[in-house]
Amino acid sequence: MPHAAGRTDATRAVVFAPLEGAGRAELVEQRITDAIVAGVLRDGERLPSESELARSLGVAVVTAREALVSLRENGLVHTRRGRDGGSFVTFDPDASTRLVTSRLRSLSRVELRDLGLHYAAIAGMAAEVAADRASEDDLASLIDIDARADLATAGGARRAVGRFHLEVAAISQSPRLVQEELRLQAEAGPLLWMCLREEDARDRSRIVRLDVIEAVRDVQPEHARRATAEHFAGAVQWLIDEKTRIDLAAHPAGGEASVADPAEGPPA
Amino acid sequence: MSTTLDLAAEHIARQVASTIEPALAMVEGWRGVLETELSGPFAGALGGSPDARAETLDPVIEALVGAELEREGALITGAGFVAAPGFLADAQWHLAWWLSSANTFGAAGAASLRRLDAVSDPDSEQFRDYTTLEWWRVPERTGRRHLTGPYVDYLCTDDYTVTITTPVFADGEMIGVVGADAYVARLEGELLPVLREWSGSGTLVNASGRILASNDSRRATGALLRIEGLAGALAPLHDERSTDPVQLPGGEFVVPCGDTTLALVAESPRPAGG
Repeated sequence: MPHAAGRTDATRAVVFAPLEGAGRAELVEQRITDAIVAGVLRDGERLPSESELARSLGVAVVTAREALVSLRENGLVHTRRGRDGGSFVTFDPDASTRLVTSRLRSLSRVELRDLGLHYAAIAGMAAEVAADRASEDDLASLIDIDARADLATAGGARRAVGRFHLEVAAISQSPRLVQEELRLQAEAGPLLWMCLREEDARDRSRIVRLDVIEAVRDVQPEHARRATAEHFAGAVQWLIDEKTRIDLAAHPAGGEASVADPAEGPPA
Repeated sequence: MSTTLDLAAEHIARQVASTIEPALAMVEGWRGVLETELSGPFAGALGGSPDARAETLDPVIEALVGAELEREGALITGAGFVAAPGFLADAQWHLAWWLSSANTFGAAGAASLRRLDAVSDPDSEQFRDYTTLEWWRVPERTGRRHLTGPYVDYLCTDDYTVTITTPVFADGEMIGVVGADAYVARLEGELLPVLREWSGSGTLVNASGRILASNDSRRATGALLRIEGLAGALAPLHDERSTDPVQLPGGEFVVPCGDTTLALVAESPRPAGG
């Protein structure tokens, strides 16, 4: 049977999939965890109250409460009582590194490659369209973002990559690509750009940025797309190598790795 | 022959202008009210405080823009005042911007007139210095009204937008901008019937040559119109100067649309049977 057959049923199933139910608290927790790790929510920032959170995310108050309890247990949030009380973000770089590492361990190679491909499809298409649609002012803003990039730290380099991709998406003139870029940044940015911990990768991120700027200046859409997509492919390859390294360190070769860690097969 | 075409194109450009100019005039009216409120003998007459404070100014702005935003069939979907940093005694950075119920960005449940939730804490990672953005930068430089876009407004509403801003002065100093947003999707509905009156290919572009709407279905909104000589013909609009219609080497007319800084690029209709 061709793969395309049955597609209508699958898309219908998505439409009628339950919105409420099991796993909602985990989704809320994951969303907020990602935002804290990505630096979207700052250290010390006060989170909305349980009921505000429930309302804005469209979940039950009990679901929001459950998510806040987990966040507290993970040390990402602390609660103060009293008049100026509430839940406050606790950002600790070490805890953040541990979270990203555990996320890397929990994802299979298949999932990592799929994530990279999805993100590259969005960012690559945005770059392709942007190269055709950039005005002189747009080009100047890309150059400005590059000039302000702080390559000394992993966080600085990642923010520069994020700002650059967001601006490229905006230059493509597509609200949908902008929204998807923002969503993917909050969800996957810190994981995907883990490689920026290394100076080589930070230098490379700058080379790619300059390459894309040149493609935009010369109206070379295909070049802009390819340079962007290859950057993602490199970041994913780094992640898979890093995952292999961590897994092997935890379970030396020939040990119980394949039994204890079903998410990952033996290294190729 | 060419004169007749030229006149027909100018007629359509005037109609485009008359679609958008009421919104421009309204923003100018708000500017007048705010300048009276913020300096001179009647300062504080509406807000009740002679000092410029966000606390007393915000209700004035809401009353000013709210009625228009809630009017049935209004062209604009957002409007308000953005203060120059440090101008207001009680808020270093301040956006007093309201969104109409047609704008569903970030709205949970029933949509109604509501205030844009802006990050005004400069230490926040999401904070953006709005004085670097086009809708602030250009009026500040020229001292005149400016039309920004079409652009994806990812700082405010995440939508494809055109923004009109005009500088507000008090005692000779620019103390902020007042302005309004309109969705490009909404403008398209108003502009296409006007553009269809031109029998050739008729495309509305901003001063950068970016397409806002076209009667030619292959000309995508947001793309740059690449026609020989167009950039030069639009240069006066880019500098907020008015200009006369010109004809490009390929025969297209470039006709400014009133005071909007938009221009109609009208390609000659093909000869019958051609």
